[in-house]
Amino acid sequence: MHSVSLGRVLRAGRCLCLVLGLAACASNGAPATPTRTVCPDPDPGTLTWDNFGMQFMADYCTSCHSSTLSHSQRNGAPLYHDYDTLLGVLEIPDHIDQYAGSGPAATNTLMPPSRCPSVPGGALDRDCPEPSVSQRADLSLWIACERNRPHTFVTSARVPGDSLAR
Amino acid sequence: MHDVHQREAVAAGRPWRLARAALVAVLAVPASAVSADHDMAMHDHQHVDAHELAVGLAVEAASYDTEFYVGSYQGVTPSLTWMHGRFGASTAITLYHLTQNGLSRYGLGDTMLGGHAIVLERDAIRAGLAIHIMLPTGSSLDNLGMGHTMAMPSLWASWRVSPWTVAASAGYSRALADLGGHNHGLAPLVDPMNMQELAFRAAADVDLGHGMQLGGRAQGGVPIGTGSTHVFGGGRFAWGTPRVSTGVELQVGVAGDPFTVRGVLDTALRF
Repeated sequence: MHSVSLGRVLRAGRCLCLVLGLAACASNGAPATPTRTVCPDPDPGTLTWDNFGMQFMADYCTSCHSSTLSHSQRNGAPLYHDYDTLLGVLEIPDHIDQYAGSGPAATNTLMPPSRCPSVPGGALDRDCPEPSVSQRADLSLWIACERNRPHTFVTSARVPGDSLAR
Repeated sequence: MHDVHQREAVAAGRPWRLARAALVAVLAVPASAVSADHDMAMHDHQHVDAHELAVGLAVEAASYDTEFYVGSYQGVTPSLTWMHGRFGASTAITLYHLTQNGLSRYGLGDTMLGGHAIVLERDAIRAGLAIHIMLPTGSSLDNLGMGHTMAMPSLWASWRVSPWTVAASAGYSRALADLGGHNHGLAPLVDPMNMQELAFRAAADVDLGHGMQLGGRAQGGVPIGTGSTHVFGGGRFAWGTPRVSTGVELQVGVAGDPFTVRGVLDTALRF
């Protein structure tokens, strides 16, 4: 039978506190995304809407998820799930992460679907391009950071679980 | 509901005779299969000593306009019901064609399994309990299924004084899943419900004679926790014989966007 000294318990406690403290520091207090992706602190700022998000959405999403498409042109995409603007993305960042992001907890491949239109709003006439796992991880990291950055607009959550009003 | 044969309905000792038709028909109604569930109760369920088997077929068409989706759906639901004495069991599944925001797709909905028992049986009053299990055979991603197994125990009672039949039921519906980690609100687009809710249904019917019956319905659910209250009402006209009965129902969404308008035609054949 092992006997545990008080000193060992205290040392373990200090280590635990250190780990928890680092974790809290790294997340800057911001909650992780559904894939458990956390934006480092300080925000490295390497992934932005202009250098990543806009192109990612254009490549994989906005042929259906665009505010310019009427409901009959969306090929099933829900209304108000529009990613042609940063505002649209920040309305439901967790939802995007749940469907297309990759992080420590999961790699989600529900989106894009199998078939896509060649032109926005058109018929589903081609196989959808698929982002790589690395790109999905970048998506989750960008979302985790972008939603904590200061913006001049106000979002309102429309999907359960997304509470991003700021 | 399908107490369509008035002469038999008023015959001595057999006031609930056509009630079996009601039960079968109710269970055959597709979209309502899940929530109409409790209905068996509400309606005439006759205590039969012999085994009775019934097959049903229902078709439905609906349009909807929810916060995120606009479109329509059509469904075909075969059903099978068995009854013996105070007990009965049933199963039903719907094949849907769903159009949502311009996308058209076909698919199965969730599968409904049900069991019920009569607990109280008097001349004019029947009451009992039921439990329905909904298996997630429909795709939740395609808005055809809940994505979870649902358990729906309920209590029901009906009161009949010819030519009137009034019935009501109340139940508790719950997803057999971790409600804390995920709550999609009212879903799916076809026959939506909350992950946890109190469900209710009320119906009143009057025999018109010559095997015809006219009635009104109200049905809905109130969420427990996150979700939306959903209610619809409608009118029903039914006709037939104790062996074969047919009904047509027109329903209107009242609260929670279950649908804008829905029509259901159902028929049942008993052996």
